Amino acid sequence: MTAIADTHAVVTGRSGGAALRTTGPARHEQLVSWAFLAPFLIAFVLFLVWPIVHGVYLSFTDQSLTGQGGGFVGFANYAEALGDPVMWQSLWNTVWFTVLSTVPLVVLALLMAALVDRGLPGQWLWRLSFFMPYLLASTVISQIWVWIFNPQIGAANSILEAVGLEPIAWLQNPDTNMLSIVIATVWWTVGFNFLLYLAAMQNIPSQQYEAASLDGAGGWRQFWSITLPQLGPATVLILILQILASLKLFDQAYQMLGGVASDTTRSIVQYIYEAGFVSYRFGFSAAISYVFFALIVIVGVAQAVVTRRKKEL
Amino acid sequence: MTPPPDLTRRQFLTAASLLAGTAALAGCAPASASGSTAQTLQFWHLLSGGDGVTMSQLLDAANAAQDAYRIRPTVLAWGTPYYTKLAMAGAGGRAPDIAIMHATRVAGWAPGGLLDDWDLDRLAELGVDESTFPAPIWQKGIVGGRRFSVALDAHPFVLMFNTDICDAAGVLDSDGRLKPASTPEQFLDQLREVGAVAGGHALSYGYLGDGAQMWRLFYGLYAQHGMAIDLPVGGEMGIDRDAAVETLMFMQSLLDGEIAAAQNDYGTAIAEFATGESGMLMTGVWELRTMQNAGLPFDATMIPTIYGTPAVYADSHSFVLPHQADADAHRRDLTYRFVADMLQGSFGWAEAGHIPAYLPVTESSEYAGLLPQAHYAEAAEHVVYDPEAWFTGSGSNFQGEFGAAVQGVLLSGDDPGAAIDRFTDRVNTLLAQPNPADPEGRWQ
Repeated sequence: MTAIADTHAVVTGRSGGAALRTTGPARHEQLVSWAFLAPFLIAFVLFLVWPIVHGVYLSFTDQSLTGQGGGFVGFANYAEALGDPVMWQSLWNTVWFTVLSTVPLVVLALLMAALVDRGLPGQWLWRLSFFMPYLLASTVISQIWVWIFNPQIGAANSILEAVGLEPIAWLQNPDTNMLSIVIATVWWTVGFNFLLYLAAMQNIPSQQYEAASLDGAGGWRQFWSITLPQLGPATVLILILQILASLKLFDQAYQMLGGVASDTTRSIVQYIYEAGFVSYRFGFSAAISYVFFALIVIVGVAQAVVTRRKKEL
Repeated sequence: MTPPPDLTRRQFLTAASLLAGTAALAGCAPASASGSTAQTLQFWHLLSGGDGVTMSQLLDAANAAQDAYRIRPTVLAWGTPYYTKLAMAGAGGRAPDIAIMHATRVAGWAPGGLLDDWDLDRLAELGVDESTFPAPIWQKGIVGGRRFSVALDAHPFVLMFNTDICDAAGVLDSDGRLKPASTPEQFLDQLREVGAVAGGHALSYGYLGDGAQMWRLFYGLYAQHGMAIDLPVGGEMGIDRDAAVETLMFMQSLLDGEIAAAQNDYGTAIAEFATGESGMLMTGVWELRTMQNAGLPFDATMIPTIYGTPAVYADSHSFVLPHQADADAHRRDLTYRFVADMLQGSFGWAEAGHIPAYLPVTESSEYAGLLPQAHYAEAAEHVVYDPEAWFTGSGSNFQGEFGAAVQGVLLSGDDPGAAIDRFTDRVNTLLAQPNPADPEGRWQ
């Protein structure tokens, strides 16, 4: 691009004014740049910026999916959302799921990556089997786990009965349904974090391990003193991605529970969906989604503060 | 493929593209373009599985019987996806000519102008009027004094029973029909006798994770107390707490692990009965074909009237006119003809288990010979629909809310009174919200 621009400048310079010598090629370059950027920008504005702006507007109206309403109602939807126990319960369920799922999704991924990285035989098989569930659609994994958790014929209860325990209605019992969704989700998505950890581990120079082993450090010592400290940035990245992914809980829980509005598993995204697409209350639905947005902003700011402190330390 | 020798490669590719384009366009063209003068009417419905196959056969028959119209069906997924799409089509005024809705959903839609109302005079000219429907089914289609739906059927929640097992248990009369039970205790005794003979449980009833199933049995039995649930807009739910608690306690007593499995979901219950492991099954009439295909010796009847008033929970697949901003009079007239044709040809729909709403069909000698359908046809006179509100009906989350509130009662023996109170609180919250089809309250 530079070579072509220079040539162009020389040509225009010969033909006339000094201004053309500098602005012509630059303008051409700018046009080309914008032409390349245009498809993305159009999609970005149409499908991200505009919905966000329009969503804020909707949240101040009583707009219905049926085409009715649309009048300005001020903060009424926000007031209703903040006083709605179902909204708070859904928000809590989402946070609780995030806490329950993030820990095993990070720890298990780390352990799995460590096992594969340190030379288990048949590495390709481990990589494949750890990552493969991640490729499945949520509908598929939901169906698989609905069968496993079936109280009459499911594998989970067969195992319990084999060790002399009572069968459980995994997905229907309020004491176990969230745990069931966490188990299914961990199985489904841990492969992605595993891959990130594996890539990070494989970037650690092997000389460090060689030096450590010359100094007499064993496998555990090497893991604690070399591997873990060097995985710091990867762990921060995985934690952020995982928290954001877990906060978006909806499809697997909705499908595994057959769409039943369970007080203990209804996520905030499910409540947004129910308000907008089942009850047709777009305005109210938009208001809840911005309350949820506020939660995500809080998580993001907290993460930024923690990361900055770590750097300062 | 090698191009023919007298064409260059470029000519061949151009010709092939043109041919492909023409073929594709021909595939998109309406049927009338192929020489027929028939108008193509767009019909949306939500019937899949066995019901979908039956509906498809009925539509083929309707298309073949005349030349004026051709029905082009669009089948969408049951529940929220269907109702969301239909609502948006109606809101945009570019809806299909005709659609199926559950009768219980109509009340929530009519105020928003999502549906056009029916011309009763035109329906009467086609032989469809009040005298040709059971009273509760005809009445259900009227909202705000206007008719917004025309029922094709009633599909009640019924009791199927294995005739071999029940015969061996001695609970059948000389005609092979189930002996009547008129109190909860009599019904429980009858079930225990069946349980002594059945290989598995006396009764199969799947409810886990299925608010609709819990609601169907509950509301039918609750209505047998001679009561309904009132849902006044902006008010509080009117429910007889004692009757509701008593009903839930009876449902608890069924799920004791002996009479019926304490932890059964819908599919497992169906499988248990279909494989001959249990003596009875509480389910919707839409499972009739499943049992016939299983080769099971069975019959069906209304759920026994154990609280005094005959009542059976049901809904109706109903024809509605989704709102069209610029409805064509000729097409609309053909739509009326199509609906009349479907009602009059609904014997085929009865074969799938549903009770046709059109009385000339259910009163025919042909229908009387259709068993076990004729054995529960009287249910049409005693149907109880969801209480009326914008948030109730099949595929709404009202039934899900009920399931969330009471599942613990059935599963873990939680307190029925506390469950009814939880449900009441939640419904009162919904009652306080505006109807999204009429947020400004302009209706009526």
